[in-house]
Amino acid sequence: MPHRGLKRAVLIALVSGWASRTFARKSGETISGRILLALRPTAISELAPGRTIFLVSGTNGKTSTTRFLKRIVEQKGSVATSQSGSNLNWGIASSLMKPDAYAVLEIDELHLPSVLAQTNPKVVVLLNLTRDQLHRMHEVKRVADKWHEIADVADETTFVVDIDDPYVNYATSTAKSVIRVSFGGRSHPDGAVCPKCGSYLTWKEGIYDSDCGLTNRVYDRLLVASDASARNAALANIAGSLIAAPYLEPSLGELERTIVREVRGVHADIRLTKNPASWTEALRGITSQNVILILNSREVDGIDTSWLFDVSFEILQGRKVVVTGERALDMQYRLHVEGISSVQAPDFDAAMAHFPTDDHVQVLSAYTAFFELSK
Amino acid sequence: MLTIVRIHNELLGTYGDRGNADVLAFRAHLNGIGAEIIDVSFREKLPESADIYLMGGAEDAAQSLSLMALKETGSLSRAVERGATLLAICAGFQIIGESFTNGHGDVIAGLGLLEVTTTPGKSRFVGDIKVASTILDCEFTGFENHGGATEIGSSVQPFGKVLVGNGNGYSNLDGAISGNVYGTYLHGPLLARNPEFADHLLTKVTNSEMKYSDDLANEYAEWRRKVTK
Repeated sequence: MPHRGLKRAVLIALVSGWASRTFARKSGETISGRILLALRPTAISELAPGRTIFLVSGTNGKTSTTRFLKRIVEQKGSVATSQSGSNLNWGIASSLMKPDAYAVLEIDELHLPSVLAQTNPKVVVLLNLTRDQLHRMHEVKRVADKWHEIADVADETTFVVDIDDPYVNYATSTAKSVIRVSFGGRSHPDGAVCPKCGSYLTWKEGIYDSDCGLTNRVYDRLLVASDASARNAALANIAGSLIAAPYLEPSLGELERTIVREVRGVHADIRLTKNPASWTEALRGITSQNVILILNSREVDGIDTSWLFDVSFEILQGRKVVVTGERALDMQYRLHVEGISSVQAPDFDAAMAHFPTDDHVQVLSAYTAFFELSK
Repeated sequence: MLTIVRIHNELLGTYGDRGNADVLAFRAHLNGIGAEIIDVSFREKLPESADIYLMGGAEDAAQSLSLMALKETGSLSRAVERGATLLAICAGFQIIGESFTNGHGDVIAGLGLLEVTTTPGKSRFVGDIKVASTILDCEFTGFENHGGATEIGSSVQPFGKVLVGNGNGYSNLDGAISGNVYGTYLHGPLLARNPEFADHLLTKVTNSEMKYSDDLANEYAEWRRKVTK
């Protein structure tokens, strides 16, 4: 039996995951994926054939877009998916252990080449590429180069991409099958230089032109979207259309990572924020007088906080701002230099205590803090 | 009125170094000195009469473009010769040296404002960094993220002696100083993390003592020094 070793490895991994859930009260997903890959390093490529696989990657919006695309694909059959944020190899291995016909998987930017090569997906959705966790990614261009390399040889995959992002456009510029979507153009925080030829990009009202011809003037679809969530929903629907899944309208807030908490009668809407582009997008949505900002700098948050000075916090002027988290002081000093005063609190509950009962607070939270508050 | 020029921030702004200009202007205002920040992009003419010029970190292609523009006009070199102060971080530091090796392995001649030479390091230097200043009686903290290793010549003094991290990647030194020209690998931004150095630059340029600091800046600086180990 050719797959005997694989079957045994899957069984052991499933039991370990169950044990981890039952006895250690963990999600079990990471542990079973890790065990599977340790016993059977080729498990992902062995489990992938026979399924229709969708991969979603990009700096921002991966998790929510994956969740929404899963809902679209589910109209056609059973779907395996990765647990939210579990986007490295073992998360993928774990989600492929069950025999679903479809898989919709969120993939970390740096892991995309290896997972793409191992799974031979039908569709890859690429959302955007901006600065994030530079201690790990080093340079945006480096990630785009890796994507470009794999996209060039992925002959059986259709890429659904937002070409208003020049890095994404470059990455798939010579791929065999691409659906190039433009939303009419927008600025890019790291888009001064052409990722393809290194020349200075000419930008005009969100439309860019490079000496080498890279541009978002030429597209397959031109759509209208009010914000990042709407763009990602549109890309997911296009991906779904490739298996003839009916169009789905996202519910309000479905493509945002938000949770709601109440502490001593104070209501908090907490939104995940993690890099300059996502902070800028989230700050645009601030309407409340009451704001809490949570900043951490663990591995997935990005261990360098220098980028705080690349974000304008101007919109917080005149609002009541409380900062907390392990790097609260970085945030407080950054706000201070922009002329915005804030107070520091030792933790989230203490930050909430700065607001009277029945008040509503908008909270922007770093990745690791968001996960702690989600528990 | 103090004029601070932020050079090619769209190219040299990958690691938050734009904050150095913000902090300089902020601390000048604290001391009752008017300060103006002028952002000069790649296609714009660099004014030669400003007091302080600032350069930051960049990706490879952006670094080459910025150097090309600065070489073409010679404005920055003339400003420095006239006595203007220049602070260049990371890719900016490499640009103002004798030469550096780009991503394709080509050796590129720099502006030659500092006698330093940058070649590819054995591995990328990424992480918190702390150095003992060679000009002030204090430590500077920051964050480094670079692939180049920089050897300094005899006509420059180091910016700092490395206590934590890598810096230049040679002889436990970071950066280089020659006259009014400062180069270092410290992001953070450097002047947000190290208010003493911001004041040092302001004092030099204005010939007046910076009497007023602020508690929050000092608290922040002290905390980073304590935890960077």
